[in-house]
Amino acid sequence: MGKVLEGPGMELFNKWGIYTPHHTVISTVDQLESLVHSNRWMRESKMVVKAHEALGSRMKLGLVKIDLDIDGVGKAAKEMLGRDVNGLIISQVIISEMIPHKEEYYLAVTSTREGAQILMAQFGGIEVESNWEKVKRISVEVGDKPSDESLEKLAKDAGFKGDMVEKMKKFASRLFECYDNEDGTYMEINPLTINPADGKLCALDAVILLDNDARFRHPDWNFSFASEFGRAYTEDEKAILEIDSRVKGSVKLIEIPGGEVALLPAGGGASVFYSDAVVNLGGTLANYAEYSGDPPAWAVEALTDKVCSLPGIKHIIVGGAIANFTDVKATFTGIIAAFRKAKSEGKLEGVKIWVRRGGPNEAVGLEFMRRLADEGFDIHVFDRYTPLTDIVKFALKGEGN
Amino acid sequence: MSIIADEKTRVVIIGGVPGVNAAKRMAEFCYLASLQCHVTAFVYPPDAGKTAEIPYGSQFLAVPIYKSVKEATDHHPETNTALIYIGANRAYAASMEALENPNIKFVSMITEGVPEKDAKLLIKNSKRLGKILNGPSSIGVFSAGKCRLGVIGGEYTNLKLSKLYRPGSFGVITKSGGLSNEIMWLVSQFADGVTTTIGVGGDAYPVTDFITYLDLFEKDPETKAVIIVGEMGGDLEDKAAEWYAAKPRRIKLIGVVSGYCQEKLPKGMKFGHAGAKEGLHGEGSARAKSDKLIKAGAIVPPTFGDLGPTIKQLYEDLKSAGQIKPIEDVPFSQLPDLPRKVEEVIGKGEVMVQPLFKTTISDDRGDEPLYCGYPASDLINKGYDISHVIGILWNKKLPTDKEAEVIKRIIMLSADHGPCVSGALGTIIAACAGIGLSQSVAAGLIMIGPRFGGAVTDASKWFHYGLVNYPNDIPGFLEYMKKNVGPVPGIGHRVKSLRNPDKRVAELKKCVKDLGLRSPHLDYALAVEAVTTAKKDTLILNVDGCIACVLTDMGFAADSLNGFFILARTIGMIGHWIDQNREGSRLIRMYNYLVNFATPARREVPERKK
Repeated sequence: MGKVLEGPGMELFNKWGIYTPHHTVISTVDQLESLVHSNRWMRESKMVVKAHEALGSRMKLGLVKIDLDIDGVGKAAKEMLGRDVNGLIISQVIISEMIPHKEEYYLAVTSTREGAQILMAQFGGIEVESNWEKVKRISVEVGDKPSDESLEKLAKDAGFKGDMVEKMKKFASRLFECYDNEDGTYMEINPLTINPADGKLCALDAVILLDNDARFRHPDWNFSFASEFGRAYTEDEKAILEIDSRVKGSVKLIEIPGGEVALLPAGGGASVFYSDAVVNLGGTLANYAEYSGDPPAWAVEALTDKVCSLPGIKHIIVGGAIANFTDVKATFTGIIAAFRKAKSEGKLEGVKIWVRRGGPNEAVGLEFMRRLADEGFDIHVFDRYTPLTDIVKFALKGEGN
Repeated sequence: MSIIADEKTRVVIIGGVPGVNAAKRMAEFCYLASLQCHVTAFVYPPDAGKTAEIPYGSQFLAVPIYKSVKEATDHHPETNTALIYIGANRAYAASMEALENPNIKFVSMITEGVPEKDAKLLIKNSKRLGKILNGPSSIGVFSAGKCRLGVIGGEYTNLKLSKLYRPGSFGVITKSGGLSNEIMWLVSQFADGVTTTIGVGGDAYPVTDFITYLDLFEKDPETKAVIIVGEMGGDLEDKAAEWYAAKPRRIKLIGVVSGYCQEKLPKGMKFGHAGAKEGLHGEGSARAKSDKLIKAGAIVPPTFGDLGPTIKQLYEDLKSAGQIKPIEDVPFSQLPDLPRKVEEVIGKGEVMVQPLFKTTISDDRGDEPLYCGYPASDLINKGYDISHVIGILWNKKLPTDKEAEVIKRIIMLSADHGPCVSGALGTIIAACAGIGLSQSVAAGLIMIGPRFGGAVTDASKWFHYGLVNYPNDIPGFLEYMKKNVGPVPGIGHRVKSLRNPDKRVAELKKCVKDLGLRSPHLDYALAVEAVTTAKKDTLILNVDGCIACVLTDMGFAADSLNGFFILARTIGMIGHWIDQNREGSRLIRMYNYLVNFATPARREVPERKK
């Protein structure tokens, strides 16, 4: 899945006839004067300025300013741009037309195994969470479209009356088209409101998740995806994402500041059991990582390099199940090269390395790891006869040395 | 028994190289279990009509490649299973082609990165067609002792270690490929091994859920218990728990779910599998799923680390209850090995192979070529040049700097002699006929022989003969040559003479003398020239003869000497080809007036003789 930021998200909405407020994304205030000159709405309406980054709780962080005239916009943008929020530098803000409104509605399309569900409620904004049971829904089977009747019933069940039924029907149908045609995995408009200026329904916000795997059939997706966990990607994470996008197999990295146990396991499945084992034994994770699908040694080397650079780590868990086709010797060669580099840079002072692995060329790969002890590494190597996650126990309970 | 795949399974693999690699792994298993290879055909339009080579023991099977699944099943109607090994953008279409084929009952897809919408459409369509599609992102299916679909099980030794050559009593269903292998290993260590293991893939919407397989396992009397390895996200594990609780089940169920760490990590974090993600409202957490499984009566070890002992306990219980009878295992050492490759065996010194030929000059088995033992890069870095490489490869010794200088000049002097000589002309005619570079140069090189440029070797041979046998008797040598050989090779020129000397010869002689090189053969040839030019002034030492003597004096063997002319002239011929090609020359033809047509005049053809 991939999260689309508000700016490109609204463009995507507009493509499918979903009405949004006027908006523009800027990365410097220098453009502001010219923009005002070119856009009447910037001269005639009040505006909202928001940090255009993958950040949660923007309101709390003071990264949303409302009811601004153009001077206020300039001031707010200047304040936000370049601001350091927990290591993330804000590089863009989105300026949008402020729509004065009373009503707030809720509309979303979510993915189900059978297809999708369209969710609708008369309670929008922050009220939706507390009234979750009042949100009405209809299911649409994959390959089908919602029927006119079902949409009408949905709108009426949700409590809409009069001409609002017809308006909500049309709007929901468009959101579904957008979701269905753009390989959406989640789309949410909250709040949805009536623009008093023209009486039309207008999407004030856009939460859009698209299926990154479908990118091959959407050449017009000219945006990159943002992170989904409330903070932007770090430089190291971005570097690994970039490598992941162009190699056979996969390499993944998410940093968790403050942890002591660094993970460098193989396999999408096993890596989560390693994470569980660390947490279960009271350890603190410094990251989540995994490599799988027989990635090239250099990609694993790059991943290891980033893992060794995590601050304050005490252990590195080089775990893994018995691989089906990932070559243990080849991938370990990459890990070892990065270990040597890290050691020469003084990064592995006081760090214990724990290895457990099986699979093609396991004997040679594990022997290479064992020999690192001769080079002064604090390394502990185990083979398939040691259960998968026992090395975590050894590391955290001081056993097995 | 087993589910999904057995001895009778016959497989078509849709895909190119990855599919062939999977077939090789499958054939390794068949060899271990003494089964016929399950793969009947490949579907891969770019290679349709060819065959793929699959090693089976020490034999090679030629498996045909077709352009469509229909073509494959028409030729191999026994085929009932399809494996998808094709890119994500074509995986849906390939899957539908397989599902819609009446012969195909089961499809498994290893392709990763298949869009969710495509997976959902496959859920809908496979249901409509009443078939099972496993995957996407599935490592495959393994029915121990019966059939391997895909690379599941890993390398050959692991198949033996995990006792996959014979069925056990445990079914396994996992999302993760690596863990499916790990569980098979655990079950072989702590119990009696597996019946069938299925990787359903870690996507958000695996086309076939756990229940479908649980139903099949329930009906398979050999399977006494099933282990499911799940993770947070989705509801396959919840559905499995509901299935298990719905009515009394024959099979025991062990479940283990990963993702407890999620409770301590940032919300919305992405893990290795696309499907490994809690819902927006916390549904599908590891804890919720485990609780449901426990409530349904499944055995849920507290952590993955406890899984081995849990399996062992269940195995012992089933054994005590008489449900499982212990299996007498073949000792590991008696299981067949894969035939080893010749390289491996030679490396270990176990066999001797008579080499086809030997080489004494060059070895590229290391990280770079060694010329008579010298690394090419070291030669470059120490300032040696092409003349030295010629000396090493042709004469096995490093020329001195003076000798290298002479070699360089010989090559420079001989590189080209205009477009009209036999060699260049041959190349140019070919170039004008649109022939490629290597063939055109070869056409020119063919001309080099006794009459054109090929006198160097013979000149060396006979001047050396004279020097040895008639050192102080030039007339005696000439007499011998006249009687036994003919004109002295290296003596005489069509246009050059004493009064019109060949500048190339003068240059070379001067160079050798200036450098102070030893020159017995050159001196002998010049003495011969002094005698022959007295008779006729065109009987001078020509360039071939001069080169021959200089190189022989340096220690090059006679048989290598034409090489200098061939090498040098190749430079010119390449130049002529490039020149003609760049200038866009057209096909050329000899002019009639340059040929003397000395043929009989036109006449009547007689009737054929009976």
